Amino acid sequence: MLEDAWVPLLITLKVASLSTILVAVLGIVISYILARREFRGKWIADILVTLPLVLPPTVTGYLLVLLLGKNGIIGQLLYDMTGFAVLFTWQAAVIAAFVVSLPLMVKTTAAAISGVDRELEYAAYTLGHSELETILFVTLPLAKKGILAGLVLSFARAVGEFGATLMVAGNIPGQTNTMSLSIYTAFQSGNDALANILVATLVLVSLLAMGLTAKLVDRWGV
Amino acid sequence: MGIAVNISKEFHSRSRMGKDQDRFLLDINFEVGDEMVVLFGRSGSGKTTTLRCIAGLETPDSGHINVNGQIYYDSKSGTNLQPQYRRPGYVFQNYALFPHMDVKQNIIYGLRGWDKKKKEERLYEMLRLLHIEGLDDRYPSQLSGGQKQRVALARALAPKPDVLLLDEPFSALDMVVRMRLRERIKIIQKELGIPVIFITHSPDEAFSLADRIVVLHEGKVHQSGSPKDVFYSPADRAVAELVGVSNIFDNAKVSGSSSMGTVLEGKGLQVVAAQVVDSEYVSWGVRPENVHLKSCNETMFSQKPNTFVGNVIDVTDKGSSKLLAVELDSSRFIFLCETPSRFSDDIPSSRCAVEIAPEDILIFEK
Repeated sequence: MLEDAWVPLLITLKVASLSTILVAVLGIVISYILARREFRGKWIADILVTLPLVLPPTVTGYLLVLLLGKNGIIGQLLYDMTGFAVLFTWQAAVIAAFVVSLPLMVKTTAAAISGVDRELEYAAYTLGHSELETILFVTLPLAKKGILAGLVLSFARAVGEFGATLMVAGNIPGQTNTMSLSIYTAFQSGNDALANILVATLVLVSLLAMGLTAKLVDRWGV
Repeated sequence: MGIAVNISKEFHSRSRMGKDQDRFLLDINFEVGDEMVVLFGRSGSGKTTTLRCIAGLETPDSGHINVNGQIYYDSKSGTNLQPQYRRPGYVFQNYALFPHMDVKQNIIYGLRGWDKKKKEERLYEMLRLLHIEGLDDRYPSQLSGGQKQRVALARALAPKPDVLLLDEPFSALDMVVRMRLRERIKIIQKELGIPVIFITHSPDEAFSLADRIVVLHEGKVHQSGSPKDVFYSPADRAVAELVGVSNIFDNAKVSGSSSMGTVLEGKGLQVVAAQVVDSEYVSWGVRPENVHLKSCNETMFSQKPNTFVGNVIDVTDKGSSKLLAVELDSSRFIFLCETPSRFSDDIPSSRCAVEIAPEDILIFEK
């Protein structure tokens, strides 16, 4: 019984953490580009990133299956190169969580970066700093409030991810059965005791995560 | 060595229909030495854009920018040095201090590659130079406007730049602080011997600071010279307006010459100017402080040229002086006339006379 709760928790934390790390790195890069660069087709890029926010997760999941399946553009390429079929693995769950939480990160971070006074970046350039150094030491520190908010939202979204994960990663015990999926399974099969334990665990973990974030915010003076 | 700028840049402001609404052409050309240069003009005349082009924060469409013998920008050879390689000392209008860094971190931010001891030395040198000792651990939000401005100057000067660029740095400060900082900048320029370009739209500031004034109007350089040149012999009508020649009259006919000089006629008024002109029609002007107020009796039998009788229709008290609007009897002309306050109390009634010396009349040919 305990293992039935423990394994999904570990899978959930693993998937959500990895997805949030990906979201942090790529999300900041995409946000900076969207906030600070002008290029042709910018609105298309903006829509593509935001789309998973408005699409039902099952639709996002279905599109991901088309992309990542052995006959999909990405899936086929990956399979030909490495022999790795990504669908129905925990890695696919990470990708699903990443795609659905990215817009939350990009929306908050891009807004925060846009809010940083450009004159400060210009000042850094005239003081001999490159664009990358300026991003790291001026722009991002000043946008940290939005970045942190984006990360918290993304992590929460990844923990709660259900539809897209079910489509691309299945619900394989010990592999891809995250908390959300396990709660549904337990409830469906009438295992109320397990469902209760899973729900209690998830609530507890969420409370802990929120407390930790509040502490961090306090420490960083965000 | 100095700065040579010859750039052009076109701006379009588009209307909502997508049609070009306004075309603004910036065409700037000037050359200055290691001196205190003031870029002077109204807002929207292209001062800030010019400064940004020198710093590398904006790119002109074509031309070249040369600072102390180094090519910053040259459209022919495709050179365009990034701002981090130009490293001008730049003071922004809103200070642009990094809010997440204290004063110390702000000032040493530009000292890349300096060793720790030298950084520290330079920091204290800057704090002393600008009289901001003791503020080094404050954050920008804890500073007054004048202190922020000093920190911004310290930060710009710390890396020993080849050129110092100041974009209306004192516009948000009160008069006393502003005057003190002006003096400090003058001293710093003399000590460092680097070219300093200072932007302002205030004539007072321009004339009290500059070794050389470059007057910008609608994206073009209209005059470049010593403050005295610009003040007393404005090159054209636009410059005259900018430097406070508030009495300007257009379309005066040049009707001949007398022993005193050129005779100008227009709208029922005849004036004599010392300057000799070729054109048939000209604009002419006179500074309000050169329109001398007299009592009517004094001028009754005066043989002096340019003496007119009229009524005072408005008085504006400017503190140390008074500005009077005088409407002439002979025509609908209204002269603005500035007199020291202590004199104007003697003006008995609204009747008075004004007198202008022929050499004070400035003529602008088209």
